[in-house]
Amino acid sequence: MLKKSAIYVVLLAGAFLSIFPYLLVVLTAFKSRGRLNATKPWLPAFPPSLGNIERLLDTGFPWFLGNTLVMTAALTAGQLVFTTFAAYAFARMRFRGREALFWVYMATLMVPAAVTVIPLFLIMRQLGLVNTWYGLLVPYLLGTPYGIFLMRQFFRGIPAGLEDAARIDGAGPLTTLWRIILPLSRPALGTLAIITVISSWNNFMWPMIITSGDDTKVITVALAGLKGAVGVDDTLMMAGSLIALVPMVAIFIFFQRYIVRSVVLTGLK
Amino acid sequence: MKARPDTAPAPVAAARRGLTGWYPYLFIAPSLFGVIAFLLLPVLIVAGLSFFNWQLLSDPAFTGLDNYRKLISDPSVSHSLWVTVLYVLLCVPAQTALALALAVLLNQRLKGVKIFRALFVIPWIATPIVMGLVWDWIFDPVNGAVNSALAVVGVQGPDWLSDSTWALPAIALVNIWQHTGYNMLFFLAGLQGIPKELHDAASTDGATSWQRFFTVTLPLLNPAMFFVLVTNMIGAFQVFDTVFVMTDGGPSDSTEVINFKIFGTAFREFDFGYASALAMLLFLIILLVTLAQVRYFNRRTTYDLS
Repeated sequence: MLKKSAIYVVLLAGAFLSIFPYLLVVLTAFKSRGRLNATKPWLPAFPPSLGNIERLLDTGFPWFLGNTLVMTAALTAGQLVFTTFAAYAFARMRFRGREALFWVYMATLMVPAAVTVIPLFLIMRQLGLVNTWYGLLVPYLLGTPYGIFLMRQFFRGIPAGLEDAARIDGAGPLTTLWRIILPLSRPALGTLAIITVISSWNNFMWPMIITSGDDTKVITVALAGLKGAVGVDDTLMMAGSLIALVPMVAIFIFFQRYIVRSVVLTGLK
Repeated sequence: MKARPDTAPAPVAAARRGLTGWYPYLFIAPSLFGVIAFLLLPVLIVAGLSFFNWQLLSDPAFTGLDNYRKLISDPSVSHSLWVTVLYVLLCVPAQTALALALAVLLNQRLKGVKIFRALFVIPWIATPIVMGLVWDWIFDPVNGAVNSALAVVGVQGPDWLSDSTWALPAIALVNIWQHTGYNMLFFLAGLQGIPKELHDAASTDGATSWQRFFTVTLPLLNPAMFFVLVTNMIGAFQVFDTVFVMTDGGPSDSTEVINFKIFGTAFREFDFGYASALAMLLFLIILLVTLAQVRYFNRRTTYDLS
């Protein structure tokens, strides 16, 4: 019994540490600048102040949030469509060069993003796409090798008999994919969508490098800019952080099981 | 011609063999274009550029191995590599061991396991830029949560992020906080896949629970261990966002990790040739570290107990 309560103490401490930074964001975002120094950081200030949020809304922040939404939606849609097609072909269709191509895809998993940003920037500069939506989105719109790896694993687990039956009934590959495979793949597609939404939303380095004006500025770049501004204002930064975190936390609460399932998709379970 | 009673078998047989004409190529085309244009071509470009001197405004000039010669004797590069390795060593063992310990705890019959599992994964979804800002505030020397808590017990905490001793461990802590819970999921999945009989067999042979863990459990977790170590190391070698907002590489370059140096060389000093050589160096290091792990685990891993 003692052992069990010791385990709970450890688990509770871990859980507290996991959510403490989030808690701090909420507490600080609603403190006025004057009350910040007067209260302990982990205690709320009464009455809560909406001043920081209001100040942010007066700047370009809502626009930057919209830009992040557009970027996330576009990259997730692209990932779902193009990854599904490619992964299905790799998992279920026979064609010349399939193994070699798949090997190339897996090799590109080892190419760090840090290595590709310089040449990607130069390519976009050459094409005149610096500081445009195209430049921001195009390199990551056509699906990722990691997504293809995950979906291929999933597709290979679907019994082949179903597709055979569809083909004998005269269904082409598109119909088979749309009518037979996709309805069975909702859990995997959900997982792929969630991890793409999270990574797109959190994207920073590429947007920072490729965009410079306010038109295409996303929320991560705007937040990093707050830190660089003269006279660091912690309450304002926490208000901005709150706005950036709320959608992700909401997604986590509603789609938590899809995140947990991403582990299963890697084939480790 | 009369020998074939109907025309169906040929296409059916072809379909069964998965021969579907141009469709596979059509399905793969967009993603293949992406891989070639935005992954393979960039690698070729960066490799090529590393042999040039190019400051963006002038024309690139071929200088052979000059960038690499400079890189070998550049003390700021070896410093940056050292900082990066230190960061990886601060993060990866901690976030792996903690994750494993949490997974073992959660793999028991306890009430609320699902809730704990969810709470531990929450840090993983956090935007690194946001967490950089939040932890910057947590490490604030005067009003930050860490030093305020230390003050309660009468300890004067350091000025974490402005102190060249503490800045790097502070950034590493953010990474550990962010990744431990998600890693735990992989170990938990691995633990749940281990048949109970194996433990029972080991117990009958008189193994203590520690012996059982190290001789039975841990080797069977090799696939999860491999995945966690490889992905975490690749990630830690490329840390950027948190450094960018928390210290900007300082104080006195104590957090200038290699990815940050590459960024600065390219986009602040506009020395694209030298930055490309640095990027190739990082690529090589990540490749070697990954391949070493592939080799190590290939020898020791037995998959699939069922």
